[in-house]
Amino acid sequence: MEINRLPKVLLVFLSLFLIQEALINQFDFLIAGFSLYLAFFMAWVIQDQRNSAVVTGFIAGFILDLSPTIEAPFGLWTLVLTALSYLLASNVRAALDAQLSPLVMLSVAVLASSSALILFLLFGAILGQEVGSATYLVRSISGNALWSALLSPLYIPLVIKLYRATLTARQR
Amino acid sequence: MANRGSNRSRLLWVSLLVTSLFIITLDLRGVSLLTSLRSGTQSVIAPFERLATRAFSPVEDFFSELSNLGRSRAKIEKLEEENQELKNQVIFNQETLAQLESLKGVLDLAGKARYKTVSARVISRGGTGTFSETIVLDIGSDSGVRRDMTVVAASGLVGVVKSTTSSSSIVLLMNDPSFRIGVRVAGKQDMGILLGQGDDNYSLQMLSATSAISVGDVLLARGSSGDKPFVPGVPVGSISYVENTVGQLTREGKVNGFVDLNSLSVVSVVLAAVAGDPGDALVPTAPRPAPTATVFVTPSPTPKE
Repeated sequence: MEINRLPKVLLVFLSLFLIQEALINQFDFLIAGFSLYLAFFMAWVIQDQRNSAVVTGFIAGFILDLSPTIEAPFGLWTLVLTALSYLLASNVRAALDAQLSPLVMLSVAVLASSSALILFLLFGAILGQEVGSATYLVRSISGNALWSALLSPLYIPLVIKLYRATLTARQR
Repeated sequence: MANRGSNRSRLLWVSLLVTSLFIITLDLRGVSLLTSLRSGTQSVIAPFERLATRAFSPVEDFFSELSNLGRSRAKIEKLEEENQELKNQVIFNQETLAQLESLKGVLDLAGKARYKTVSARVISRGGTGTFSETIVLDIGSDSGVRRDMTVVAASGLVGVVKSTTSSSSIVLLMNDPSFRIGVRVAGKQDMGILLGQGDDNYSLQMLSATSAISVGDVLLARGSSGDKPFVPGVPVGSISYVENTVGQLTREGKVNGFVDLNSLSVVSVVLAAVAGDPGDALVPTAPRPAPTATVFVTPSPTPKE
């Protein structure tokens, strides 16, 4: 990632974090909840080059770790999003067309955010976190997937626009 | 060339993964800088949460209004505007009334047990990505709230204060998977541990295999030393299922909580239990059945012709 792109990316994810914590968390979703932050991140990273994706994953994970309501150790989201961003940018991106359709981005956002939640739980369990009952986990993960899919027409165009806005002239 | 670029990104990836693991290790070893980062974030976010609560409280109405899109007519626009204003006022009044009702309930509970409390509004909840059940209150250390204080609602226990800033505090709800509380069965001396499961059901493990528990028994908080994190006597829930655990060391069961944790608006933080253990005084009373009027009809003998 080019250095002059870094502040823009940081600003986007900090604003998104604030929106998630102060606004999205206020809504009482019917089934579980919705993490706009995760869905947005996945749709962002799938468009990125490998190096940029890894750095973005690290930054986004670190910001998510700042959430005061998290019980898990600091750094767990950083680990999960750094790991996942590389896998997405190198393995998944390579298998897709150069021009990403909104449907592909939606599928990636839904599947990858569910995978991120599962990875977070797995690593958390390894580190000794309590994970709750199976019904609770299934409801949380499937609820997030459902809302990520239903609300995708709202956030995917925004991801595309913001991603392009952060690109440097050379990258465009 | 491509291979060199791939190696470079792999090296970057591995070094960032190692950095993440280093951060996790620091946190697990209790480095205070990382804890301060989280509480600092809470101080920054709290004013935005308060603002969002004020702006989006009638949000259910906003969603129901969305279903009318496409059917709008220009001639009724003005009337709709007026109507909307009135509706907002009604919603505001209803919401205020509901909050007053909850506040009255929680003050009744605190008054019965002579708890010294401070009331608070719920301004936010923990998000999906956290997998922890928490709420954020609009009061903090400036109002006397400290870590490990008990939080109650009108019907009973809500959770425990996890962290505070000067103007906000985070409460770990009793349905969080990491939540544990010592309980006793009301009217008996049997004791057990209640465990949060993430959803509305709680798991109960009694300390003795001979505990006589049955469906419907009310559970109360046992209390902790120095009343932190739990003051004694707070209603927690009622037993909904008792497992057949013949030959096991403990008896187990399922519990339904008294408080609906999904619809909390006003709660109280217990600052001190002035009168000590209130015993069974807070056990919720079952609603009395309304007396039925019984009418006896005696048939009058039919007159003979």
